[in-house]
Amino acid sequence: MTSHRPADCSAHFGPAYGLAGAEGQPIRLGWSVFGEDNQPGPATSTSSTSFSLQNGRLGCFSLKFFNLVSEIQWPTFRPRLDLRVHFRLIMAPPWQSQRSSSPSQPAGKGEVADVKTQLRNLAGSRAPGVDDSKRELFKKVISYMTIGIDVSSVFGEMVMCSATSDIVLKKMCYLYVGNYAKVNPDLALLTINFLQRDCKDEDPMIRGLALRSLCSLRVTNLVEYLVGPLGAGLKDNNSYVRMIAVMGVLKLYHISASTCVDADFPTTLKHLLLNDQDTQVVANCLSALQEIWSLGGSASEEVSREREILLSKPVIYYLLNRIREFSEWAQCLVLELVAKYVPADPNEIFDVMNLLEDRLQHANGAVVLATTKVFLQLTLSMTDVHQQVYERIKAPLLTLVSSGSPEQSYAVLSHLHLLVMRAPFIFSSDYKHFYCQYNEPSYVKRLKLEMLTAVANESNTYEIVTELCEYAANVDIPIARESIRAVGKIALQQYDVNAIVDRLLQFLEMEKDYVTAEALVLVKDLLRKYPQWSQDCIAVVGNISSKNVQEPKAKAALIWMLGEYSQEMHDAPYILEGLIENWEDEHSAEVRLHLLTAVMKCFFKRPPETQKSLGAALAAGLADFHQDVHDRALFYYRLLQYKISVAEQVVNPPKQAVSVFADTQSSEIKDRIFDEFNSLSVVYQKPSYMFTYKEHRGPFEFSDEIGNVSIGTESADTVDPNRVEANDKDLLLSTSEKEETRGLNNSSSAYSAPSYDASSVSVPTSQLSGLVISNPSVSGNAPQSSFAIDDLLGLGLAVAPAPAPSPPPLKLNPKAVLDPTSFQQKWRQLPISLSQEYSMNPQGVAALTTPQALLRHMQGQAIHCIASGGQSPNFKFFFFAQKAEESSTFLVECVVNTSSAKAQIKIKADDQSATRPFSSVFQSALSKFGMP
Amino acid sequence: MLQCIFLLSDSGEVMLEKQLTGQRVDRSICTWFWEHTVSQGDSPKLQSVIASPTHYLFQVLREGITFLACTQVEMPPLMGIEFLCRVADVLTDYLGSLNEDLIKDNFVIVYELLDEMIDNGFPLTTEPNILREMIAPPNIANKMLSVVTGNSSNVSDILPGATSSCIPWRTTNLKYANNEVYVDLVEEMDAIINRDGVLVKCEIYGEVQVNSHLSGVPDLTLSFANPAVLDDVRFHPCVRFRPWEAHQILSFVPPDGQFKLMSYRVRKLKSSPIYVKPQLTSDAGTCRVSVLVGIRNDPGKTIDSITVQFQLPSCVLSADLNSNYGTVNILANKTCSWTIGKIPKDKAPAMSGTLLLETGLERLHVFPTFQVGFRIMGVALSGLKIDKLDLKNLPKPPYKGFRALTRAGEFEVRS
Repeated sequence: MTSHRPADCSAHFGPAYGLAGAEGQPIRLGWSVFGEDNQPGPATSTSSTSFSLQNGRLGCFSLKFFNLVSEIQWPTFRPRLDLRVHFRLIMAPPWQSQRSSSPSQPAGKGEVADVKTQLRNLAGSRAPGVDDSKRELFKKVISYMTIGIDVSSVFGEMVMCSATSDIVLKKMCYLYVGNYAKVNPDLALLTINFLQRDCKDEDPMIRGLALRSLCSLRVTNLVEYLVGPLGAGLKDNNSYVRMIAVMGVLKLYHISASTCVDADFPTTLKHLLLNDQDTQVVANCLSALQEIWSLGGSASEEVSREREILLSKPVIYYLLNRIREFSEWAQCLVLELVAKYVPADPNEIFDVMNLLEDRLQHANGAVVLATTKVFLQLTLSMTDVHQQVYERIKAPLLTLVSSGSPEQSYAVLSHLHLLVMRAPFIFSSDYKHFYCQYNEPSYVKRLKLEMLTAVANESNTYEIVTELCEYAANVDIPIARESIRAVGKIALQQYDVNAIVDRLLQFLEMEKDYVTAEALVLVKDLLRKYPQWSQDCIAVVGNISSKNVQEPKAKAALIWMLGEYSQEMHDAPYILEGLIENWEDEHSAEVRLHLLTAVMKCFFKRPPETQKSLGAALAAGLADFHQDVHDRALFYYRLLQYKISVAEQVVNPPKQAVSVFADTQSSEIKDRIFDEFNSLSVVYQKPSYMFTYKEHRGPFEFSDEIGNVSIGTESADTVDPNRVEANDKDLLLSTSEKEETRGLNNSSSAYSAPSYDASSVSVPTSQLSGLVISNPSVSGNAPQSSFAIDDLLGLGLAVAPAPAPSPPPLKLNPKAVLDPTSFQQKWRQLPISLSQEYSMNPQGVAALTTPQALLRHMQGQAIHCIASGGQSPNFKFFFFAQKAEESSTFLVECVVNTSSAKAQIKIKADDQSATRPFSSVFQSALSKFGMP
Repeated sequence: MLQCIFLLSDSGEVMLEKQLTGQRVDRSICTWFWEHTVSQGDSPKLQSVIASPTHYLFQVLREGITFLACTQVEMPPLMGIEFLCRVADVLTDYLGSLNEDLIKDNFVIVYELLDEMIDNGFPLTTEPNILREMIAPPNIANKMLSVVTGNSSNVSDILPGATSSCIPWRTTNLKYANNEVYVDLVEEMDAIINRDGVLVKCEIYGEVQVNSHLSGVPDLTLSFANPAVLDDVRFHPCVRFRPWEAHQILSFVPPDGQFKLMSYRVRKLKSSPIYVKPQLTSDAGTCRVSVLVGIRNDPGKTIDSITVQFQLPSCVLSADLNSNYGTVNILANKTCSWTIGKIPKDKAPAMSGTLLLETGLERLHVFPTFQVGFRIMGVALSGLKIDKLDLKNLPKPPYKGFRALTRAGEFEVRS
């Protein structure tokens, strides 16, 4: 698309995308519950009360405090040393002595003891200037603490000195106490007194700080002292204190959940969330409540109900209407929540997007990405708008990449990479943004190369390939290699490759070993797809001396071409002969395997010249220590013994061109990562379940696996429709022909190099693997096999009408049990053994008004539900079942869309072989649903 | 959410540690991080998000100081990175600049700041104006005052009014004897010129920087003569979105002091102000280099601070390079830097010489990329022009100043 300016952005979402909010009015609903909205804008300031510090309160310990202190054993007193230090402290101007306490100086136990003595002397002193002396000592203690020296031994003294009106002294003391209280729970008791007193100070700043420190002590047996100050803090008239108190509630919950709940703090937070004037208090409530509920375990019904309320329209709208008042970080939090909200109808989606559109222009990248996520998630079910969203978010993201610090741009680029990979055609005119700059680190260049490869199409290929060719001479050799590979990939995905082939052949003439090596591999792949180019390529390849090619992959590629085109290449038999003579020096088994095959092929084309080498190769192969090489040599030998013509059919069958090479990353994983947009997964290019532990997962994780669905039979509305993966896959695919062909990657039927027809003559796997090895893109092929089955079955079943399949042979245990935790564990560990779409019969769809209806039905078929949720039209279920005789378990994820009458089923099984019988059981059960 | 923040010196020493949640993060993570950094060699090019065996780390490097944050939970990566960048910005703002000694000398202030900026791992306020009211920056005047009066608290005794106001970026009762506002257009030109001298990509990233010293709560309106040249814009939170959307007018109540009002991007520029023409010809183990620099499109103002820099390929044994204008230096890391300054009227600056290649190498295969630097005062090369700045709600008309500046960003010429 051409340049588009922010001015005409609003027009991009079509006519409907301009309903509300265009007049600058926030969305207004009739929710009077929440009080009046604040008017954003430069309104008059609220009253700022001034608080002045009270002087002359030094040393006003309470009696209780002294009693506590007196119980501590003090170390021996050293008066002489103390005098010296005291003298220095008084004489030195503060900024000089400050420098002397720089933590780079080494400090030992002796010094800590010194400090301890000095602190003790100062503790009761009321002399003028005592605060300055204290301050120096405190600084020293904290600097020791910072460089890692254990200064916990001065805890008692620090507490004694804490009675001061100087706020910096207080802060240092709080910092110290917070650091050591946990390891000194007994001494921590000493601090309670002065912290509690500070919580009642006149100065809201001191009240807040003291409350924060009090809650940060994190000592279990002191929680009783927290409840009172927290309760008062939540009701404080100053928002600073309230904001800290809210976080304090969360801290208390972490220390002792029961105390927190008994004091009814969560309820208070809920009230504040909806009623507090100060947005930071609201934001903290939101963050605290989310974390509390996520820790409370998804099992509790109450918690899931609370979450439902949080994601309900009134709450979401209340937060959205105030979004401009929130701090940028709080906005991220709110947006994160909104992304999980499921709007009831398209108008609502447009309202939300209109309201949030200016967030895309925010200076904070985190806000921009969070908004992007909301836009993408909201429009998943609306193909056209979804595409418009891509167009709309493109410019802000590209700006973020080019404007931020290198650290920021990398994170944004990772997200952009994800979007480009999903919808390359939308970015095809922006290819210049993905040009590599000289100074960029190689991980950035790598991302950019992948994006350049993806966006290449008929109109920009020439420029992109020209650019990529410039990188081939790059100083950074891995990047040079990657860019050559990128050229190759583009060549393989284009229909018109004239220009590219020339470039590749130029690489071969560059006389740089790694360039030659990469180019050889590519030329080989290219020839497999476009055999018509063999003439041009072979002419150049023939000039390459095999001595200059050392890398196994490149050597294998060269040998493959020698075998395949031995008719056209005059020297082929002789080059192969030379290679066979050096059999012993060839370390790579892959190359030796290829050599065997190539010499066989050559033999059938030019027998007289090759016969001798073939004998030598077979002899060397039979004597080879590598099992695969040995086996293949033996196999060829026997094959030749059996019948030469059969051998020729096996080794040299007529070939069709490879149409599509397999993709490395499964589309399921890509979709998973997309669901986790704006998270670390995107940066790592792995969904979070692959790299974070469950217990480390983010608080309040909705969007993942079964944690998001209420456990048990209660229904919940928390299922987001974005999990309806099939939908969003179609969204982007339908718009581009090129995409459609790429979509084929997932079905292994497209991967039909007929040389594998040989397998029908029972070629051992080594033959196959030997051939496959030369194709780097096949390596991640493992998940493909399941798609094959899926496809084969899916074809039959998608059109299969309602009548139930024949009675299944599989018996299921009607009383199967599985607890949610082990279900989650299994679900994560097992691969998907079957994934397919199933058309539901109309009666079934009609009967599915609530998830419960289907649950009861399936239970009758010995298939149990562990979690379910959703609202019409999208329902999601997790089922499990066990075999009657053994403990083999089946897990099913079933997503039903009632409007399209389709059910997406993913089955995972302990016993893979039983998947298909089980799937038919499941389908027959499903098909009976709604039948009288 | 973030669990811990560390500040590391350029030797990997932990200068500061701030635990944010109940789960303490052990310092050993810093050791791991430092070993990882060293093993990667080029530390400025380290990834900003790293997975360690126990934690996920965000790192931001500023002036040799590494800001490191740890988390064990999934979270928006930009939130971590952007927050660390803000911490670095705020510290720079407070301490005047950023270096190891400054942080060590003022670690108490750093702790105080972190305390207000983040609570329980969630960022609170990073707005310098608000922080400034809660924690006074260290400065000589403060220190002098504290010596004289004996009152050494660096904390203002009132809570910022802004924390509860509707304009969180501005304090409410500011008073200036002289009201001034300065608007600067600062642009950076990123360009790639390929082997054949074709301008492959040329775009400008620009910022509108405002320095405001205005009393009360002024309302400003800034308009451009030609806002149509802008391709994409990002705003400071103070900018009202609707006036921009409707009329491309920036309407805002400014924060106090220096801030970035807006950043923008202008794509698809057709020409660059200067040309750099490198030529490399190899023959029998040596390579002749010649580089010509001159003005291509006169921007109407002086182009100064022109530099040309390139990395000699590793296969070059020695280099003998001279110029007819300016100075040529070859640094220890094989970087060749040619400082030109202004282009003289009477001649075109040229650098030439020979590179001696490794024995056995006939021709040069790896071609250096020339990075060009320049600066033009008084011109915004994107063509963006400020039309007018209106101020409302002020007792008397203030002094208004406008400037423009363009400099080279990533301006590279391939050979």
